[in-house]
Amino acid sequence: MSEPRRLKIWRMRLLMLLAVIGPGFITANVDNDAGGIYTYSAAGAQFGYTLLWVMIPMTIALVVVQEMSARMGAVTGKGLSDLIREEYGFRITFFMMLGLIITNFGNIVAEFAGIASSLELFHISRYISVPVAGVLVWFLVVKGSYKSVEKIFLAASCFYFAYIVAGILAGPSWNEAFIATFKPPARAAFRDSAYLYMIIGVVGTTIAPWMQFYLQSSIVEKGITVREYRASRWDVILGCFFTDIVAWFIVVACAATLYTHGVRQIRDAADAAQALRPLSNEFAYILFAAGLFNASIFAASILPISTAYTVCEGLGFESGVDRKFSEAKVFYWLYTLLLIAGGAVILMPNIPLVKISILSQVVNGIVLPFVLIFMLLLVNKSELMGKHVNGTWFNVIAWATAVIMIGLTIAWFVTGGGS
Amino acid sequence: MPSLALSELIGAPVYDPSGTTPVGKVREVAVVPQEDPHRVAAFVVKTRHGERLLSMKAVNEVNGGVRADSLADGWTPYGGGEGMLLLERDLLDQQIIDVYGRKVVRVNDVDIHEEISDRHVTLKLSAVDVGARGAIRRLLKGVVPTSALRTMMDKIPPRMIPWEFVDLIETDAARRVKLKIALDRLSRLHPADIADIVEELAPAEREAVFETLNEEVAAQTLEEMDPKLQVSVLSSLDSDRAADIVEEMDPDAAADVLGDMPPDATEEILTEMAPEERAEVAELMTFEEDTAAGRMTTEYMALKSSAKVADAIDMLRKFEGGLESVSTIYIIGEREKLLGHVPLAKVVLATPETPLMLLSSRHMPTIHPGADEKEVAALFDKYNLLTLPVIDDEGILTGVITADDVINMLRAKL
Repeated sequence: MSEPRRLKIWRMRLLMLLAVIGPGFITANVDNDAGGIYTYSAAGAQFGYTLLWVMIPMTIALVVVQEMSARMGAVTGKGLSDLIREEYGFRITFFMMLGLIITNFGNIVAEFAGIASSLELFHISRYISVPVAGVLVWFLVVKGSYKSVEKIFLAASCFYFAYIVAGILAGPSWNEAFIATFKPPARAAFRDSAYLYMIIGVVGTTIAPWMQFYLQSSIVEKGITVREYRASRWDVILGCFFTDIVAWFIVVACAATLYTHGVRQIRDAADAAQALRPLSNEFAYILFAAGLFNASIFAASILPISTAYTVCEGLGFESGVDRKFSEAKVFYWLYTLLLIAGGAVILMPNIPLVKISILSQVVNGIVLPFVLIFMLLLVNKSELMGKHVNGTWFNVIAWATAVIMIGLTIAWFVTGGGS
Repeated sequence: MPSLALSELIGAPVYDPSGTTPVGKVREVAVVPQEDPHRVAAFVVKTRHGERLLSMKAVNEVNGGVRADSLADGWTPYGGGEGMLLLERDLLDQQIIDVYGRKVVRVNDVDIHEEISDRHVTLKLSAVDVGARGAIRRLLKGVVPTSALRTMMDKIPPRMIPWEFVDLIETDAARRVKLKIALDRLSRLHPADIADIVEELAPAEREAVFETLNEEVAAQTLEEMDPKLQVSVLSSLDSDRAADIVEEMDPDAAADVLGDMPPDATEEILTEMAPEERAEVAELMTFEEDTAAGRMTTEYMALKSSAKVADAIDMLRKFEGGLESVSTIYIIGEREKLLGHVPLAKVVLATPETPLMLLSSRHMPTIHPGADEKEVAALFDKYNLLTLPVIDDEGILTGVITADDVINMLRAKL
């Protein structure tokens, strides 16, 4: 093969990669939303390094689950709710959609919590920030200039590097951190319902049910077929690694700064912002607030509309922002109500913002096994996937994840959780 | 004519003359489209001794449970649904084409009419339920008693699509042939509407549609689709099928699509094409897409200067190109040099013996092949054109740009 031709092939491969970069990377970034930031921060503050061992198995599970999702999208060309509808009928789809609305609603509340608490660091009352943000997001998505703003959000997400730098500057005990990453704690820790609660939350925020629906739909919408899927796979895998590396550093940064100085509970954004102190005292607040705000608004622009699409497609309602209101009433109403109700919850007096955010992620973790089981049943059907059914290892990992999450939920309940 | 829903039939108990306990449950409702696309042919019944096929001829009663008039042991064992449309698997919860509404919808339930005639029942498919009625019935089936459900249903406005307006989508080619799924109704829609429908489908279903429609309809539909989808569809078809379709497309549209495809795929399709069409398309592919030459078509009407109106009408009858290029008839001299043009309206109004050159107007806007898109649009606007001839430096007519191309171009910028 001549030199210019080889170069050309590499250039085509790179272009192909860049063309499909998006779905996996975006999903990963939105993964580190308000719920994520608070949950990882609380994990580090409350339990120090003792939750770090979850990161590696969780990342493996995340890669497997996301890859399954993307593969199903590329091979079938249909979204997850469409597949569930076609294979399992109306009733099951209805209940799954109901569950998804409730779960996603919790996440939307968390995004508004992020918006409210981040802007409160700048002394902007939530009664102003939340309604304004809600209206802004609504117009952004419905009037369609979302795509250009998406690039701004993605770029602004490089804020997450601040956590990596903060983590390093906090001077954590690297020894402890690395050992904790590979060595689970003693048995006794698993009898603490608060510990179990946090594990479920951490997994729930990393492998959120809404992500699987969103990723598969994005792949379908981008028109990625089996041929282009190879490049897409890298986008997905890299996204997963990026998100979990950032998560690891968030936990470490909070463990090194908050936990070691006795700040075990995070009550509001100010507490969480402390973790960025090592970077620079005054800018800690600003960095945190800006980053949290960016993450929350980005997620608030994706999550509600994705929920509306998924539910309408699954139940057979007309959907699409290119349709007029009269043509797609259920779609527009659902979307608008999700935003309004989400904001309303935050505006209720004395609402514990951080607690609610973490709770929404725990709900993610509890619902996850059900979505996983459906995905596993679908991805193993050869009529659907042809030769792209799951390999043995993928099945083992995915089934194990589902079983472990169910187990953790039961264990949490049994050890006195939910009281 | 009483009607019942498919969801009421699925899972209904089946009785035979042997007694009052059910011998099984209805698992599937089968239709044999090759024989009668409207009538239910049989039930697939799950009995203690395996699955059996109960022909409708042996059914006396359907309400409150299916009553057969022959013993269960005598029914044929069920050997798979070859050559049968199984309503629960193939229709319920699947996507179908609503030809009347010109969109793709999902089936919530199926409305079936019952015709009772002296101890025998005929079930006919009457409509597909795509609305709230079907959805709620499916949701509450088994939870709420049937009679209560029926009264509830009457209060909900129905959203039905009559079975005559439904076109099924089947991705398996062999089954398509067996079940005679030919998309006849879909083919009669305007290609732009077919394109809208096809764009809503998943890739496998889209491919199935393009394999079923006849080449001409497929070509016109493809021309109306989003460029990215055009490439996707052509790539998914066999190269000879793709070539058949490309041959029927307007050469300029064909050149655009082939130009967007990877080179080896384009080669494969070009080799399968008939030589004449291949040459036309290949020539157009050499031009830059955003120049005048990139937008022109080589299918237009041109006659020699000695031609009369009668000759023009003759050629019109034999013309195979698109209607858009026919609004102006061009007059060419030796070596195809452009000499004049006659709007179709004038041809229609003149007598057959009138020489064409007489009808030609003296002023003739033309454009150079290398001209920019903006110049093209400016000329169309200035002279209120429907077509614009493209001539090279020697005045030779090389192609014609039509108004729909300009509108297409302008909409992309709007």
